[in-house]
Amino acid sequence: MFTPKIGGAWYGYIVGSLLAGIVLLVVLMQLPQRARKYVLWTVTFLGGLFYALEFFLPTHEMLIEGNKADGNFLSPFVVPMTNVLPVISAFAVGLGVINLFQMHTKRVLKWNLDSINSVAFFVAMIAMTVGHLMAKSPHPSPFATSLYKVLFEGALQSLDATMFSIIAFYITSAAYRAFRIRSLEATLLLATAIIVMLGQITLGQLLTHALPEYLHVEVVRNWILTKVNAPATRAISVGLGIGSLAVGLRIWLGLERGSYFDN
Amino acid sequence: MEHATLGVRILVPLFSLCIIAMILVARKRDLFIRRIQGLSAIDEAIGRATEMGRPMICCTGLGIDGGVEIVTLQALSIVSYIIRTSARFATRAIVPVYDPQMLPVTEETIREAYTLEGRPDSYNSEDIRFLTNRQFAFAASVAGLISREKAAATFLFGYYYAEALIMAENGQQVGAIQIAGTPATTQIPFFIAACDYVIIGDEYYAASAYLSREPTQIGSIVGQDIAKGLILMIMLAGSVIVSIATYLGSPIGASFTQFFTK
Repeated sequence: MFTPKIGGAWYGYIVGSLLAGIVLLVVLMQLPQRARKYVLWTVTFLGGLFYALEFFLPTHEMLIEGNKADGNFLSPFVVPMTNVLPVISAFAVGLGVINLFQMHTKRVLKWNLDSINSVAFFVAMIAMTVGHLMAKSPHPSPFATSLYKVLFEGALQSLDATMFSIIAFYITSAAYRAFRIRSLEATLLLATAIIVMLGQITLGQLLTHALPEYLHVEVVRNWILTKVNAPATRAISVGLGIGSLAVGLRIWLGLERGSYFDN
Repeated sequence: MEHATLGVRILVPLFSLCIIAMILVARKRDLFIRRIQGLSAIDEAIGRATEMGRPMICCTGLGIDGGVEIVTLQALSIVSYIIRTSARFATRAIVPVYDPQMLPVTEETIREAYTLEGRPDSYNSEDIRFLTNRQFAFAASVAGLISREKAAATFLFGYYYAEALIMAENGQQVGAIQIAGTPATTQIPFFIAACDYVIIGDEYYAASAYLSREPTQIGSIVGQDIAKGLILMIMLAGSVIVSIATYLGSPIGASFTQFFTK
């Protein structure tokens, strides 16, 4: 069932899946709110149970996806189960696009000074979609390839890089506020930052090379990072891991309360 | 594919038992959890936005693997509390959404928050906005939103990466009171530098329990503390056993380590 299909079988599976999906959606929409929550809980529980059993059950060497690996009787189904996620994601992208269209259409129809941004959104979205489809066709024309390069590499990637580079300026202003000597904690932060920064550069090493080795700035920096910073980060990570386990457990067992769970 | 080691096969069910046991205890009697300053400040931030008559921005982050996941759901449960409180004062809250899969979940949660406060008409679908699922485009959109709307308060909960500072610094520039909470340890320092209050570590997962005072969640927090106590004891015992075994040349130290690694 989980192997690639070709020819008529491929069409059969596509049409069958589509029909099954539509029937499932119709049935789900007919269910009362309370019954939907039970369906949701059952699917969540079964999904969680599958991954929990696959992770905890003893393993032995076996063939998975044509490769030798450690696994158990559930392991061959991990990849097909995981492949469900991109399918759900593809449906959800449609929801996002609909939300954007609804919001920006309303703004264009109202027409005020801000509406120009919504027009820019529609122009950018249509241009990017058309450019991508043309460039990724089996035989793209030179114009399509150039358009794609201009839009994707020239505009989108450059804009991304611009936003990323802005962080450098924000780091400076945030560091200025954080390192001002206003309290003992801020002073400690400043001193630590100076040591760590000096330890990163050769000038710092030059300044302390005459001191005993244990006072070399790179040694002190290394001590701060591995003996002070790392344990603190690990302690936070342990707390987060246990917290994540608790939330996961509550959702999996249906103990959680809220919008998608029983009140 | 990753599979459980012997230590994990024993410890994870043990920790799970602690958490479930304390949830059951909390349903029968009151349990205490300490005050978390950052979460107490949420009401202060909502009050400030109400007084100034300006909106709040409630962001649920980018998530780790995308889609509907625990970190983002936790952020959404905090945002739900913020919306319920702000609904009482008719303060506008804008919720930018990064992942399209989170959009229907967010819309439904926010709509329910308004309904529970008896103000379903205050729900405005335009305030729950899917912006984009590109990291820096999202950062630019949120930064623009904060600046244009002159947000009085920003709530940055969820998982963030490099864009955390872009959003938080923009909030700082418009003078917004800022409360952040993230399990991303790499972004905590940036939030500390740019925000007024930061919820760190497992406080993030304790937030909904602290805010809702719901027995199941409070029991879960107490169970987590017991599990952390057990981890601490194992670490101390491990340090002593491995140190003594190494000094005496005994193989017990290696066996102890192997219990957790193989």
